[in-house]
Amino acid sequence: MSQSADTVTMASVPSGSVRRRWRLDPHRLVVLGVFTILALPLVVTLGYALAGHWGASLLPDSLTLKWFVELWATPRFQAAFVRSLLVAVGALALSLVLILPVAFLAQTRYPRLDSWMNGLILMPFAVPPVVSSVGLLQLYAGGPLPLVGTPWILIPTYFTIVLPFMYRAIANSLRAIDVVSLMDAARLLGAGPLQAFFLVVLPNIRVGVQIAIFLSFSFLVGEFVFANLLVGTRFETLQVYLNNMRGASGHFTSALVVTLFAFTLVLTWLGNRQSGQDLAKESAS
Amino acid sequence: MMPSTAMSSPVYKEGPASMPFNSQSSGEATSARDVVDAVSPPRSDYLQLEGLAKAFGATRVFQDIQADIAQGEFITLLGPSGCGKSTLLRSIAGLTALDRGSVRIAGEDISHLPPRKRGIGMVFQHYALFPNMRVADNVAFGLRMQRVEREARRQRVEEVLRLVELEAHADKYPHQLSGGQCQRVALARALVVEPQILLMDEPLSALDARIRRHLRDQIRDIQKTLGLTTLFVTHDQEEAMMLSDRIFLMHQGRILQQGDAEQLYTRPVGRHAAGFMGHYNLLDARQARPLLGHHGEQGQVALRPEALYLVAHGLDPVKSAELPLNAGPGCHGVIRRRRLLGNVVRYEVACGELLLNVDVLNRSARHLLDDQDRVVVHADLDEVQELGA
Amino acid sequence: MKGLRSASPALLWLLPFVVVFTAFQLAPLAWVAVSAFRVDEGWGLGHFHEIAASPFFRQAIGRSLEISLVSSLLGLAIAALTCHSLAHTQGPLRRWMVAFTNMTSNFAGVPLAFAFIILMGANGVLTLALQRLGIIEDFNLYSKAGLIIIYTWFQIPLGVLLLFPALAGLRTEWQEAASLLGAGRLAYWRHIGLPVLWPALLGTLTILIANAMGAYATVYALVNTSYNLMTVRIANLVSGDLFLQPNLASALALILVLLLAMVTLIQQWLLRRSYHVAER
Repeated sequence: MSQSADTVTMASVPSGSVRRRWRLDPHRLVVLGVFTILALPLVVTLGYALAGHWGASLLPDSLTLKWFVELWATPRFQAAFVRSLLVAVGALALSLVLILPVAFLAQTRYPRLDSWMNGLILMPFAVPPVVSSVGLLQLYAGGPLPLVGTPWILIPTYFTIVLPFMYRAIANSLRAIDVVSLMDAARLLGAGPLQAFFLVVLPNIRVGVQIAIFLSFSFLVGEFVFANLLVGTRFETLQVYLNNMRGASGHFTSALVVTLFAFTLVLTWLGNRQSGQDLAKESAS
Repeated sequence: MMPSTAMSSPVYKEGPASMPFNSQSSGEATSARDVVDAVSPPRSDYLQLEGLAKAFGATRVFQDIQADIAQGEFITLLGPSGCGKSTLLRSIAGLTALDRGSVRIAGEDISHLPPRKRGIGMVFQHYALFPNMRVADNVAFGLRMQRVEREARRQRVEEVLRLVELEAHADKYPHQLSGGQCQRVALARALVVEPQILLMDEPLSALDARIRRHLRDQIRDIQKTLGLTTLFVTHDQEEAMMLSDRIFLMHQGRILQQGDAEQLYTRPVGRHAAGFMGHYNLLDARQARPLLGHHGEQGQVALRPEALYLVAHGLDPVKSAELPLNAGPGCHGVIRRRRLLGNVVRYEVACGELLLNVDVLNRSARHLLDDQDRVVVHADLDEVQELGA
Repeated sequence: MKGLRSASPALLWLLPFVVVFTAFQLAPLAWVAVSAFRVDEGWGLGHFHEIAASPFFRQAIGRSLEISLVSSLLGLAIAALTCHSLAHTQGPLRRWMVAFTNMTSNFAGVPLAFAFIILMGANGVLTLALQRLGIIEDFNLYSKAGLIIIYTWFQIPLGVLLLFPALAGLRTEWQEAASLLGAGRLAYWRHIGLPVLWPALLGTLTILIANAMGAYATVYALVNTSYNLMTVRIANLVSGDLFLQPNLASALALILVLLLAMVTLIQQWLLRRSYHVAER
């Protein structure tokens, strides 16, 4: 661990050093250093995407937006973009329908179900996508459910990988609003269980669920392993498209990488903004 | 308002802990152990705070802090939140750097020592117990840092746990204890190294009322037994009055008034002091004239609610033996509100433009006055505190 | 049957979840576990013998373990240092950094590989810069060292996200209390800081190792199948251009899962030897 600046505050010191501490603060240096390391590949890729030509030199020759224009005008890219969105939306819709009732029942009626679920949602971490793919490829290549090679296999598979985030987010939201008392109150006022769920519970967990959806969405748009192994070029998503473009100009693929990251960035930002507002609301009340 | 109070009139309560053996030379270093053994007589300037000041940027946290504290004395720093009392405590411990001034223990300047070399024990508001250690290990930590032998360590831990009545919980982890138990562990942990000074930063405010009272008495008993010089920070007036040999009333980074509980309660030196102690009625002298007669033309006066007397309308005030000798003229008013505080009833009485709090001993339910009852209010003129402009 | 239904019709709501989860999470794993022992028309340990006897597969396992362990430890160390500094940093920098790690933790796989090619490939910007400065002669991104760097890069944000709550949970009062009791900075970390963080550090390390062991997209995009790792071999056995061997793939996949299970067991064992985690 780094030698901290707080040791300075431990003993009394001449007050001039307080100002000096700001400039030399090792903690800020560490944070900025790691930030630089993390930002470096992104910045360089952005530079490459904006460069007219960047040969064996340290800086590009000229700046241009032509790679972005070319990329966005490519029908194959547009198609891949739409496919990625469709699959992600489908998977999230399915996940909501499947997970909401489970989380709700676990938080209201069956507390033991919650501990069960907390175990179950560790499975996607313990079983890497490559391993699941081996089984999925064999199980759904033919037989009664020939899903391999179609987007239909991605939707339920993606449900399994967003399950941990979604379940935790929904369960936490439900716990935060004290769902049991809310349901009791709604029922005393004459609502049936379904009415209470849709009119009272759902609107109150909307923000928490939205955050989970945004984060899961960016996660799914970045998914490659299942998309490539289970479907491949027969239903080309963004990540698969990017991989297939490896032979193309580096500037072109850089523009694609930057576009993907910008997309992720917007989604994460939306999610975080939601959570920020959520926090602000909570602390205000 | 009264910036000089902090410097002047250090009034001492001549309690057993602060016997005035002032003549002792100040060069001699003493430790807490010597105190317990009563080798040297206690000195009245054992802990000296000289011109302490601290600012965070442009915000002054405290300034001109000047005090002599006797060996074995129990001092409370009392004040509203944000008055600088906690930061002052942390500065004495060395956890926050001072801008100016010095802290001396038994004549030795410790201002430039790091916290671990100051010989100061501290109890924090939220216990600050180490979550990875059992109770016994938490208490033993300071001894371990002093490289005390294992067997000696075990014995002293056992002793001090017995002192705080926790010997049965030695093997538990902090998260298995209640708040009151946690704070007693924290106390034991601070005591076991026999500090020269014990600092307590609102140690009771995270606890619920019943436990708070119990632990309060326990802290005072232990402090007296060990003869430990103690600084105790609180915002709770009752706590301060129950515990202290002396109270330092703080406001906006200054000590407004030092004195024992009685002095602070009956003779507050200013508006802030009066506002913080009891439920003083703070009145404009001009407004208060119907109540006080010719008493004062300008400035403010403070009147404790129990220094006001109610006579129900129509009764002869002379026959009512309850009035004080030096009662002011009667002021006619109407009861606006009645609050039952247990043994005391607090009436809110409107007397013309004055709104007064009047406390009456709750002798019998038959004598309770109701809302809108008409009354005459008399003030005990001996108890009027003139606060100046 | 009738009794069960009338007792809790609410349980019917769980049915769709159970069906889909079973079909797409449990069944594939079960299929892997079973078919790993499927040899021709019978059952046996043939595939495991084959893997154990093959230097090629043994190399894949060894490299996977090595790269995962090294990158996880490096990532954990850097993440811990970052979190410690973040916990002592106020203001916009801290908010920015947390938000930024959040975003970069999603930046993995194919785009990451492409970004690194531009940064550190044969003609990468960093490679050229370091060559001009005379620090390196040349650098091969498609080597073990290159992979460890990329893996470490994507471990850092994940590590920060997982560790930050624990490090932010270290209360300054603990250190203050310790310092008043005579403990210096080192003694504080030895007796309180590290023991308190230990479970979080262990848990994070386990997740990082699992993350690295299972990683496939990055290395595939970087070197296709030419760098020998477990995930690359498994994927190649079920989707390669040559003849497919799904049962052998299952055996290797099962070994991967068992290795991860072992890592978790070691973590649990170490955790039990550490201080009591709050039992609630």
